[in-house]
Amino acid sequence: MSENEHHQAGSLQLVSRSTYLKESLLKAIFFACAFMFVLAVALIFIFVGWKAWPIVTEYGLWKFISGSVWSSGTEEFGILPLIVGSVIVTLGALALGTPLAVGTAVFLSDVASPRVRSIVRPAVELLAGVPSVVYGFFGIILLRAVVSDFTGTLGFGAFTAWIVLAIMIVPTIAALSEDALRSIPEGIREASYAMGATQWQTIYKVVVPAAKIGIIDAIILGMGRAIGETMAVLMVVGNAPVFPRGIFAPLATMTSQIVMDMPYAVGLHRTALFAMAAMLFIFSMLLVATVRLLSRLRD
Amino acid sequence: MLLAGVGCKGAQDRPDRIIVSGSTTLLPIAEQASEAFTTQNPSATVLVSGLGSSAGIEAVCAGTSQIGTSSRDLKEEEESLGLVDTPVAYDGIAVIVSPSNPVQNLSTQQLQDIFAGKIVNWREVGGADRRIDLVNRDEASGTREAFKKIVMGDVPFDRAAAVLPGTGQVRDVVARAPGAIGYISLGFVKPRFTDVRVKALKVDEVMPCEETVANQKYPVGRTLHFFTKGEPTGLTKEFISFVLSDEVQKGVVVDAGFIPVAEGGSR
Repeated sequence: MSENEHHQAGSLQLVSRSTYLKESLLKAIFFACAFMFVLAVALIFIFVGWKAWPIVTEYGLWKFISGSVWSSGTEEFGILPLIVGSVIVTLGALALGTPLAVGTAVFLSDVASPRVRSIVRPAVELLAGVPSVVYGFFGIILLRAVVSDFTGTLGFGAFTAWIVLAIMIVPTIAALSEDALRSIPEGIREASYAMGATQWQTIYKVVVPAAKIGIIDAIILGMGRAIGETMAVLMVVGNAPVFPRGIFAPLATMTSQIVMDMPYAVGLHRTALFAMAAMLFIFSMLLVATVRLLSRLRD
Repeated sequence: MLLAGVGCKGAQDRPDRIIVSGSTTLLPIAEQASEAFTTQNPSATVLVSGLGSSAGIEAVCAGTSQIGTSSRDLKEEEESLGLVDTPVAYDGIAVIVSPSNPVQNLSTQQLQDIFAGKIVNWREVGGADRRIDLVNRDEASGTREAFKKIVMGDVPFDRAAAVLPGTGQVRDVVARAPGAIGYISLGFVKPRFTDVRVKALKVDEVMPCEETVANQKYPVGRTLHFFTKGEPTGLTKEFISFVLSDEVQKGVVVDAGFIPVAEGGSR
């Protein structure tokens, strides 16, 4: 990259002045685009942090994070049940979705014939593009009713959310894992076959381990999507800000609670919502940092 | 004509257009009244939206709406805002369960204990041995506010209850779940858009119906309001008079399952 730039900069002195200006202008435009984006992220973070800060000074950070009662009426804003809710919902969805997604990725990269791949692949990509409210609608109308009929409960809860979220994150994880698997050079597979390994042995002893970090990357990005998902989750969790009594009992996540409370929150309540948004911001920064770290490992 | 009006000027600047926003409970009345009203006055536009009572009151205070509809009374801190109250109908809040639930009647005390999470099994109120699944509304809901005021008093709701953002959802969910209990406006108990059935319980041995709500025998009732900032004038006034006319009161209001103000007397 840097060598290339150097080369360009050197050759620019040889071109006409107007070409040079045009090149500089384009460079400035691209820089502005990237800069605007960084600026937007920074501004949002500063705004959220500024709005959330009173939770530290007026309420107490520890009380906020470790409190187990979320009740705007009594001005109690403990988000522990909501953190637990987010974790339960996310991990369950990952546990359901990951095997399915990695299986799909392996199928697409190593098993499927080009004809089959040409059908399955667009289907997976299509799933990735469906707006989340559609999944939520499907979840609340069809899935919740089925769960309700089978269990005799309301049908809201972690279980329903797991299924909806798993369907949502499979395309993300599958597409990224497939990229990772396909980036493994064909020679490695050929070497494995040359050693007398079967196709299945090649997949689980050679190809998947080689693409391990890329697949973990994909899972972490899927996790990011699951934690951040709001609309679909809001519609199926039942929105009770408590530690759930079971996988068929209502619960709430951080994102769903923000949406539920947003329309009428004022004062400290609103501050608590911003503080929760800041928590989500920090969560996703940690996820991004993990992904960066992993890709450095891979290189 | 309609397109030209959108987004050009603030709502206040256009006397031929008013915005009515607020309670989702009042949505059927406001919507159908606005349709009939604009048919009779083709030059007028009445925009109706349902965002919840609190949002409606906020909107009329902020001047973004001319009429804020509300299914709850004003809160203490809202009383000083200079809003003028026009009651447009009465409404009962029905306590609903699945049709398969054998329980027929609950006292207000039992109702309070159930929604506070003190009574957790239907057996304790004469039903089957089954856990009670609470269905509550979100805090922006006027129905919740009214239910809280009338039934709960100072006793807090059980926070483990499912919180749903709409009347229709409460109805759908309760209809299917054999242990569920929820509350919705009386006007939504009868199936109108779906064939999903729910059963309304008697409260203190009184069956919720138009008569018992209007004569105030049924304990869980409330007044539905139109709030305006100051005395209504111009088109706003015309629209409110139209809503109070027999045409709407005996038509739309009754059809929507509410009780006309004229018959209800003052509360």
